Amino acid sequence: MGFLRRVWRLISANGGIYSWLTLIAILALYPLLTPSGAALLTATQLFMLITVSSNWNLIGGMTGYVDFGHAVFFGIGAYLMGILVTVVPDYILFSPQLGFWQALPLAGLGAMVFALLIGVPTLRLKGPYFSIAMLGTFVAMREIIRLLKPFTGGGEGLDLPPVLNRTRDYYFMLIFMGVVVALMWWIRRSEFGHSLLAIREDEVGAEMRGIDTTRHKIIAFMIAAFFTGVAGAFWAFQNTYIDPDVVFIEQRTVEMVMSSMLGGLGTVWGPPLGAFILYMLQDLVWANFYNLHLFILGVLLIFIVLFVPEGIIGTLGDRSSTSLGRLLSRGFNRGERTMEERA
Amino acid sequence: MNKILTLIAILAILGGVLAACAVPGGGEAPAGGEEEKVILIGAAVSETGKYAREGGDTRKGYLLWEEWVNNEYGGIKVGDERYKVKLIMYDDEGDPDTAAKLTEKLITEDKVHFLLGPYSSGLTKSASAISEKYNMIMVEGNGASESLFVRGFKNLFAVLTPAGNYTESGLKAVADAGAKSVVIAYEDTAFPTSVAEGAQKWAKEYGLEVLAVETYPKDVADVSGIMSKFKDLNPDVFVGGGHFNDALLFIRSAKELNFTPKAMIITVGPSNPKLVKELGADADYVIGPTQWDRTMSYKDEYFGTAEEYAQRFEKKWGEEPTYQAAESTAAALALQIAIENAGSLDTDKVREALNAMDVVTFYGPIKFDETGKNAGKPMGAIQIQDGDIVVIAPESAKQADLIYPMPPWDQR
Repeated sequence: MGFLRRVWRLISANGGIYSWLTLIAILALYPLLTPSGAALLTATQLFMLITVSSNWNLIGGMTGYVDFGHAVFFGIGAYLMGILVTVVPDYILFSPQLGFWQALPLAGLGAMVFALLIGVPTLRLKGPYFSIAMLGTFVAMREIIRLLKPFTGGGEGLDLPPVLNRTRDYYFMLIFMGVVVALMWWIRRSEFGHSLLAIREDEVGAEMRGIDTTRHKIIAFMIAAFFTGVAGAFWAFQNTYIDPDVVFIEQRTVEMVMSSMLGGLGTVWGPPLGAFILYMLQDLVWANFYNLHLFILGVLLIFIVLFVPEGIIGTLGDRSSTSLGRLLSRGFNRGERTMEERA
Repeated sequence: MNKILTLIAILAILGGVLAACAVPGGGEAPAGGEEEKVILIGAAVSETGKYAREGGDTRKGYLLWEEWVNNEYGGIKVGDERYKVKLIMYDDEGDPDTAAKLTEKLITEDKVHFLLGPYSSGLTKSASAISEKYNMIMVEGNGASESLFVRGFKNLFAVLTPAGNYTESGLKAVADAGAKSVVIAYEDTAFPTSVAEGAQKWAKEYGLEVLAVETYPKDVADVSGIMSKFKDLNPDVFVGGGHFNDALLFIRSAKELNFTPKAMIITVGPSNPKLVKELGADADYVIGPTQWDRTMSYKDEYFGTAEEYAQRFEKKWGEEPTYQAAESTAAALALQIAIENAGSLDTDKVREALNAMDVVTFYGPIKFDETGKNAGKPMGAIQIQDGDIVVIAPESAKQADLIYPMPPWDQR
């Protein structure tokens, strides 16, 4: 243990920046190291999970409004992409058929506008009522998309141009993920972020202290919706076809929630870490325990909720309230002290 | 906090390195088959998830072919040599993301020579986009939606009759028997939509007047609204496009409302013996399209007759083959015939052989049109007569004549 602690101390004192540079270099060069489409697609899917989980965490973790229907923004983004690149010219004569890059931000904006419309009434609801309202929105949207047949293709869905480019997708999602995580990092430190935390801890108290809670909540909701919408639009293009049943899957929201909980609700690095572990576990467990994989993941989830409710980052952090967290945090600090004393 | 960041960074690097190490390891395995002459064929097919049952049938069809071609047939003939087949199958869980990832894995890591299709039109859509990108041939037997074949893919071949032709032989049979008008109801998803569009086309072709077309959402619980509307129109023929449960709903609802068209043509349900078990005498006289039935009179030099195929299937798996299983075996067989005709594993040559193919198999004729659809195979039609499923069309495969019109519900 002593040796490990010493190594750990060394790395954390000097190696932090180098670790990060190495990581960034590896990620940037990854397509050159493994030119396998499957490996790139796997990484791209992981980046996407990190991105949407971070966005869920903004509203669900930092603001404390647990959103059980967040995938609705993913779906709206996906459908806007589908409509903009395939259907539009049939209906608006003067609009040229949009390409991937033009449709991407428009899809995000569409999701954002929807977040504004749906957020104004639902964000006034507290606790489980908001969660249920969003779940309802999610399910309702799936049916609405089905009914808007002239635009959405109804249950038959839309076929996007089958232009696949895994390397382009990889770099796009890598940069997109970087932007989103950096934004979350900034928000967490900004006044805006602190206001969100204040709303989570005590909404009435925050209101009394002069925070315009409704405005803050809606802005956080819209930011989360924008990036989730762009991710959805990207997914639609990558999958080359969409229909209500492949786009509006409850599992998407579940994955966002699970990643955030596993990593640590309301923390910047929780969702990325949680998404990483969850994705790797799914892959690993799937490959090695063929028929047991769902069972194993389920047991793991129960374990997390029961024993590590603050997530990994929360438990390792200084302000952990669980006994395991305090123990770990003491262990780290003691290690540092002894090193300092020796030095 | 910084410590935690560093920890994450190290973990991520370790993860990346591990992943990078794992990839080449997976790719090398097939190289060992150099001396033994092996053709690698890959497929991502559901074993769990929402398509677990149909995907299971698809897998059984593929595995039956693999066992037969290796042990009994002695391997695929390529020129003067015999190649054993190694079938690599993964479970896509019915999830499009997993399906895409596994298809990529089969192509770029396992380095398969050819692909067989997944189960369902949706998964075939995303998988075929990937195989097209890598210029890999995919022969499939479980994606019937017409929209698969309008994307201009040159590497996708489907042995099954496309959804648009499902009702052709049924409508022709009732039109020949004197029917004049038709109403259509279908579920608003990809496959039934194609069926219904085709039904309208064929109705026109055979001189039937389409009185009404109605859609209903997926997982509908009640169709009595549609059926009572149809009753007022008093049509000769009712066409229902949907899945097994919808067939139950249509028949029950028609009986309750005493709506008696002269014929009912319903997709998916009637060819399944479970419908008779559920409905008893009410299922009688219902007509259904079928891709394949063991009683059909097709045969080939590989599996023998359709009946012999069915017996082989029963012996191996202990259950009757569904048409999903038969069309999966047929897809693999079509690929085998194309490789043998081409005398090569070269993608371009095998594609040429597929385009030129014109054979009759235990599953029916296989002849691909320029979009990759099987234009050669007519859809069969069955009618439930006295609790038995009997083939009434096409002429070449039929066992009994169509009973038309069907008697009213209270006279059975």
